[in-house]
Amino acid sequence: MPNIKLQSSDGEVFEVDVDIAKCSVTIKTMLEDLGMDEDEEEVVPLPNVNSAILRKVIQWATYHKDDPPPPEDDENKDKRTDDISSWDADFLKVDQGTLYELILAANYLDIKGLLEVTCKTVANMIKGKTPEEVRKTFNIKNDFSPSEEEQVRKENEWCEEK
Amino acid sequence: MERVTHVFCGSGGVPYTNLQSANNANATPEKPSRSVPASMNNMPSANNKTLSNVGTPSRARISRNRAKNVPLASGGTGGYVAPTTWNQLMQDDHFLSKFFLYFTAIERRILAQVCLRWRDILYARPRLWAGLVPVVRCREVRAMPPSSRTRLYASLVRRGFHSLVLLGASDEDIPELTHGFPLAQRNIHSLSLRCCAITDRGLEALLDHLQALFELELAGCNEITEAGLWTCLTPRIVSLSLSDCINVADEAVGAVAQLLPSLYEFSLQAYHVTDAALGYFHATQSSSLSILRLQSCWELTNHGVVNIVHSLPNLTVLSLSGCSKVTDDGVELIAENLSRLRSLDLSWCSRITDAALEYIACDLNHLEELTLDRCVHITDIGVGYISTMGSLSALFLRWCILLRDFGLQHLCGMKSLQVLSVAGCPLLTSSGLSSLIQLRHLHELELTNCPGTSQELFDYLREHLPRCLIIE
Repeated sequence: MPNIKLQSSDGEVFEVDVDIAKCSVTIKTMLEDLGMDEDEEEVVPLPNVNSAILRKVIQWATYHKDDPPPPEDDENKDKRTDDISSWDADFLKVDQGTLYELILAANYLDIKGLLEVTCKTVANMIKGKTPEEVRKTFNIKNDFSPSEEEQVRKENEWCEEK
Repeated sequence: MERVTHVFCGSGGVPYTNLQSANNANATPEKPSRSVPASMNNMPSANNKTLSNVGTPSRARISRNRAKNVPLASGGTGGYVAPTTWNQLMQDDHFLSKFFLYFTAIERRILAQVCLRWRDILYARPRLWAGLVPVVRCREVRAMPPSSRTRLYASLVRRGFHSLVLLGASDEDIPELTHGFPLAQRNIHSLSLRCCAITDRGLEALLDHLQALFELELAGCNEITEAGLWTCLTPRIVSLSLSDCINVADEAVGAVAQLLPSLYEFSLQAYHVTDAALGYFHATQSSSLSILRLQSCWELTNHGVVNIVHSLPNLTVLSLSGCSKVTDDGVELIAENLSRLRSLDLSWCSRITDAALEYIACDLNHLEELTLDRCVHITDIGVGYISTMGSLSALFLRWCILLRDFGLQHLCGMKSLQVLSVAGCPLLTSSGLSSLIQLRHLHELELTNCPGTSQELFDYLREHLPRCLIIE
């Protein structure tokens, strides 16, 4: 089984099965575009991912390596958030900072399944919250002026289910 | 020698390249390989393995799948520069437009109030607002400054709303609306006036303005007269609902029948409509009118049903809910003449007996949905007739107080049944209800207010019907 070396931002090198690494579309595309030979000694630096997060990502990808490829996105359908598998739920029982870093890494590495399950987890965190609570949870600055805020509140409160 | 591929290189300290501005720089789409942000221009060619360091934390790839996800507003399909910090991610169009899919339209109303970027991303995607309708509270709008009203209407257009509900409108609101919301002329397809003091004159002005309107609902509009309907109704209306409007009676139905040749769906709730009104429909409507709901039209009798079946033989959906004077003879007429019916609602028709269900079961071979809520005289025998209907997929028997376990036994043979309600049926026992596990295709079962239910029963049903939603 050919391996590939991934280097985290803090310099740690992880040796990973190529097939597992390729669940990252970013890595997969790079290997294909660059025509890298799998038997060559390569080190792929991942400057946006630190070793703690990369270790988690590899753990996730290893567990899910035999999953069928995720279905194509259907942007016309709302996605469920109540269908997180128990393994994933346990895997994501981490502090908020780690969860956010995992999303960043999944987004950067383009790992669809991991991005999906982490998005579901944070989506569930903010469901039912007020705009101010969402800002607090996600550390987002309120850049509305008071009148804009009042305006956008009306624009949305005045929408009801058909 | 160890060769390092530097494609991913870049120190974390490089400032985030705003995706939008980067893409705006490439106003005209270029070949993907060239439309990466400016800082990537010294990116080496793909096959060159002796790569030099590149100064951005970019994914060096142009995804075929990703192109369609890039919002149109951002111009070309440039390379995606993945955010490196959480704060960047929280402002990233590409990420957020996917993230917002994990919410319902109702929940997105909150998200749009979080910050400008979230609002703008959400507002630019009409598909994220599907299923909602703006309800404009006219009394409050009157107190808003004009600029604020204009922005409100603009926000409706941005989100792609084609429906509009006006709550509490009166004639004085209409000029303001037609001037302040000029785009309504072609954007509004569906209008509801609820609890409005609007008069015939106001309605006429409004309908003149809304040139793209084809769906109209008047609910609780007590100033509208039948003469007003004769003046206002335009032939482009294909769906009309009149409910709880005190002046609506037979003449209103006359206007509908005369003026709306393309009417497809008509819902009427009016206590004073008589059988004669249903004689106004004629051949021109019979080919287009497919859905007729006559709700709580208390005066209607079997004579009205005669008029319906003669003038509208092509109905596919009929509701006589609360038309309590209709009897088994009326249902016989329906069964014999309306062979295309897919949905029939006879709820609150308290004179209906098992005989009516025999007619239905014999003749309505295409029926998919049958509602018999509060038909208090039907028994297990009638349900036995219904159970022979091969195409029936939804059956509502709420508060059919004579229904017993024996009736449920009949239902258990219905292979096509997907939705069943026996809510409020007092005589059903736990053992009778547990036999419903034989309905393997069931995906919704309503058992509210059934004294025969228990937690054990719900658990048992859930265990054996894992794909079925059990409503307790």
